[in-house]
Amino acid sequence: MEEYSDSEWNWDFYKELVDDVEENKNIIQCISCGKCVGDCPATKVSNFNIRKIIQKVLRGDKSVLKDSDIWYCYLCERCKRVCPKDNINIPLLIINLRNESFKKGYGPRYNDLRKYVEMSERFLIKGVVVEEQLGEPLPQERIDELNEICNFARIKYVFKASKTNKNKKKKLKKS
Amino acid sequence: MTISNLSLDLDEIERIYPESPLDFFRDKKLCLFKACLEKYFPGVRWGIQDLLEELGLDVSMCVNQSCCSGTFFQRNLITRAQFAAINERNIYELDQQADIVLFSCNGCYNSLMRGREFLKNQDVKRKTEEILNSLKKDLVIDNLKKYEILENLKIRFLHDLDFLYLIRNDVFNSLKFDLKDLKVAIHYGCHYLNLSRDKRTADAYLRDKTKLDELVTLFGGTPVDYQEREACCGWGASQLLINPKEALKITFNKLKSAESVGADFILMPCPTCLYTLSKPEYRDKMNKWFGEKLDIPTIHLNELIAILRGCEEERCITLRRKTPRLDEIFEIITRE
Ligand code: SF4
Ligand code: SF4
Repeated sequence: MEEYSDSEWNWDFYKELVDDVEENKNIIQCISCGKCVGDCPATKVSNFNIRKIIQKVLRGDKSVLKDSDIWYCYLCERCKRVCPKDNINIPLLIINLRNESFKKGYGPRYNDLRKYVEMSERFLIKGVVVEEQLGEPLPQERIDELNEICNFARIKYVFKASKTNKNKKKKLKKS
Repeated sequence: MTISNLSLDLDEIERIYPESPLDFFRDKKLCLFKACLEKYFPGVRWGIQDLLEELGLDVSMCVNQSCCSGTFFQRNLITRAQFAAINERNIYELDQQADIVLFSCNGCYNSLMRGREFLKNQDVKRKTEEILNSLKKDLVIDNLKKYEILENLKIRFLHDLDFLYLIRNDVFNSLKFDLKDLKVAIHYGCHYLNLSRDKRTADAYLRDKTKLDELVTLFGGTPVDYQEREACCGWGASQLLINPKEALKITFNKLKSAESVGADFILMPCPTCLYTLSKPEYRDKMNKWFGEKLDIPTIHLNELIAILRGCEEERCITLRRKTPRLDEIFEIITRE
């Protein structure tokens, strides 16, 4: 396993992340005990190793943003339960890292997000993630509010991209 | 402003109402949080709704409540502040209508707690306020400016499993059938099992979770231990959509582990886990990828209560005719 020497500490990356999500300052308490790894479902089925990811972050190694590993976390919170340290919130760290990865353009492209297109559409059109909800539908006024809340969010881009794709398909069909 | 833990204090209710915790709920307005996936499993909602009505409690649903949006936050499609704003909008609406909100879904329960927790971060709170303020423009109703982060909320949140456990004697008394000594594999689901944000003490967080096991025993079944008892169902905040082969391996291991100890069905308190563990398409894929057809049935706690109470099949396991061997379990339990 790749290890680091003490001279390789570098806090720039850590500071960047903490700037965005203050709560993640707690990862500095990590003692590399590996309990989180032993109980992690993602580790059982992929190369995902959260202890290594935390080590890399604390050494300023930004390659984690390009690796596909961070996209394998199940956000199950198991690690939080077994971690001997207070308030290390790994799912929140993962979401933070994924956000950085998106910002730098490494995150999943529209194509990888296509599975979300339908859900995003339903949410912005009906306020639920299924075709119709059980019982009365959400009033239009409330749906408009949700759309306003989601202004400039990625969910809107996924939604727009899906519409553009649909229009392209329609045009192709016509021609 | 202090952002309080909005989970209902169960220990206190047990202390004040040791004989009949149900009495605490008698003068309260209860609201069922509508989980999106109840669309596929309506028995999950009707199961608890029918029970509460029979117990004479005041129960409703909130028409203005939207999806919790946890799925979008967890895939980085909305920011923390946007997630918190969607959450506060829902909380505002629910607070108008109810004293206690009940959750049939681990995911929704986690979302509502998490959205509130985010407000402890001043930056997120400020951004959330900004978003909510931008919504006010057309929304002056009855002189109430709509949507703000409410201080001193009266509303409290309660997971269905915790509620049903608390009033278990009354639930038991309402049953027409028992579990006929069926062997039940228990699945709590990650966001019940590992959740810390609704707990008041470290002990409540870390102690073994046994409420579902105890309910099964009370209802005349036998909880069986199995290797993957605490494992994830495989949904994993949509891992099943993104990396299906890896995720379904987790699902497969769980189902197989329960089947191999001879469990008659798997019982859980979450419709997302239910969706993952029961969808016929996923069972077929697992058969194709891992070479074994698994047909262990799966049931949500609320559906089970409906079956045990002798509700019509339509009211508890409707729409689920294609899920493996569910009708068998229904027939065994409801045999006179
Ligand atoms: S939340 Fe992520 S890192 Fe933690 S145990 Fe679950 S899959 Fe592993
Ligand atoms: S369990 Fe906690 S302290 Fe141990 S390696 Fe994981 S994050 Fe670090």
